[in-house]
Amino acid sequence: MKESGIFGLHDVPLRIVYEGISFSIEKDRGGLLYKRKCMDEEVENIFLSSNSKVLINPIEPLNMPKELTPYLLIEFEKSIFIEPMTNKKIFITFPVEIGIFVHGKKEYQIIDVLTLAKQKFTLYGSIKNGVICKYWKSGVYSTMPDINPIYEGGIELSMRNTTMRWVEVTKAVFNAYGMKIYYSDDMVSMNANMKILSKKIAEIGFVGSRLEKGMKRSLELYISRKIPMIATKFLMEEGI
Amino acid sequence: MILEKIIYGNVTGFDLLETVVFLIIAILIARVVVIYLRRSLKDRMSRDIMEIVIKVIYYTIIVIAVLFVLRRLGIELSGLLVAGGIIGIVIGFATQSIVGNLVSGLFLMIERPIKIGDQVNIDGTSGFVEDIHTVSTIIRTYEGLYVRIPNEKVFTNKITNYVVNTARRFEYVVGIRYSDDADEAIEIIKDLIEEHPIALKSPSATVFVDNLGNNAVNIIVRIWAPPTEWYDLKMEMLWNIKKGLEENGIEIAFPQRTVWFANELHK
Repeated sequence: MKESGIFGLHDVPLRIVYEGISFSIEKDRGGLLYKRKCMDEEVENIFLSSNSKVLINPIEPLNMPKELTPYLLIEFEKSIFIEPMTNKKIFITFPVEIGIFVHGKKEYQIIDVLTLAKQKFTLYGSIKNGVICKYWKSGVYSTMPDINPIYEGGIELSMRNTTMRWVEVTKAVFNAYGMKIYYSDDMVSMNANMKILSKKIAEIGFVGSRLEKGMKRSLELYISRKIPMIATKFLMEEGI
Repeated sequence: MILEKIIYGNVTGFDLLETVVFLIIAILIARVVVIYLRRSLKDRMSRDIMEIVIKVIYYTIIVIAVLFVLRRLGIELSGLLVAGGIIGIVIGFATQSIVGNLVSGLFLMIERPIKIGDQVNIDGTSGFVEDIHTVSTIIRTYEGLYVRIPNEKVFTNKITNYVVNTARRFEYVVGIRYSDDADEAIEIIKDLIEEHPIALKSPSATVFVDNLGNNAVNIIVRIWAPPTEWYDLKMEMLWNIKKGLEENGIEIAFPQRTVWFANELHK
């Protein structure tokens, strides 16, 4: 696995050039001057903060190119057939979005989000009852694949077929409000459960556990906005 | 003193003043609660649900305050209902259109063909639904105009809600020259759609030769998009397609006519 080294808490001034991402944060006239260049897009902002800490970590991959939905649909490159009444574990990938936060007065404020992953949206379900989802296509692996954490993260997906039939699974839809992202220098990961309730219905939720010791929990955007009435799981009722 | 003077029953002027002050305080509290809720819920729930929650809480506070005040003034609710019934009939006749709008407003809230923030067309007025009151609906047109439509009109007219479904399709007709390769053009257009993040992966876009026109081979391009984004995408994609085709030597055809002369022209 590749080591990115860009995730974590950094001091200002900070300058990072890595894999097509280039950004810098410098002290400037009592504030912070942020400059970023990523995929031909340039951003320059001033932050009136005397603080000198910047947090960079992976966030829910649902903010770019614009925040349209809290749902991420991952289509599997190959269909999975799971036998009746069994638990199986697979690994799939998800696109990484990098959140840059500035720290001030015990509060973190997101200042930018960037990504090198391909962006695409799709519809899950029917035009009348479906939902717009961020789209990602992933291979299916038996162990964590060798991926670059700047581009992709890995999801350990525990699948439980509670039916008495073989079930074909071609995709999974995840709710951003439940995402728990962990990161280290060489890996970005999530841990999720898929409970198959029938041939066409499954429930997907996240588990707050690290895949490896020493991984840090990301500061997510959606978790901070969560209010009790918002569901954190996703019920796939329009086919799996 | 005037405040100690009995107005009716045991109710004094002071009681009335106390009631007014109490109601004003209740309204102020309700407004403060509304401001607080609006601030704290703004980023956490959709605007239409937030407005309903806020209105329910606001009117609950007001109704509780009014009920409390009526009891303090010694007004029995049963007597009020009888009096209210008679007055209601009188007012009903006098304000038929208002009552009609009110009832239509209630049905609109139950049926919910439109929500706050939706893009709609009601009786020829297109724009965003700004608010749904009990007697009228407010539309902010795309030109930025404020339009108030009585709910009776909203309820009885044809409503087109542009965003109620999860996806919306739009289409172009792209005419290329007969000398160009239509298969190649279709591939280029499909690639451009695939590259654009907002053009939905599913339902997939369809691109095909629709007809052999007088001046061009007409290719139909149908793209699905989220309903809030379709117009921006529609504006962007057409030019992307035009540029993409021209970069690959395929040109958009324009009307032309080949003229054959029966006799050779003399120089």
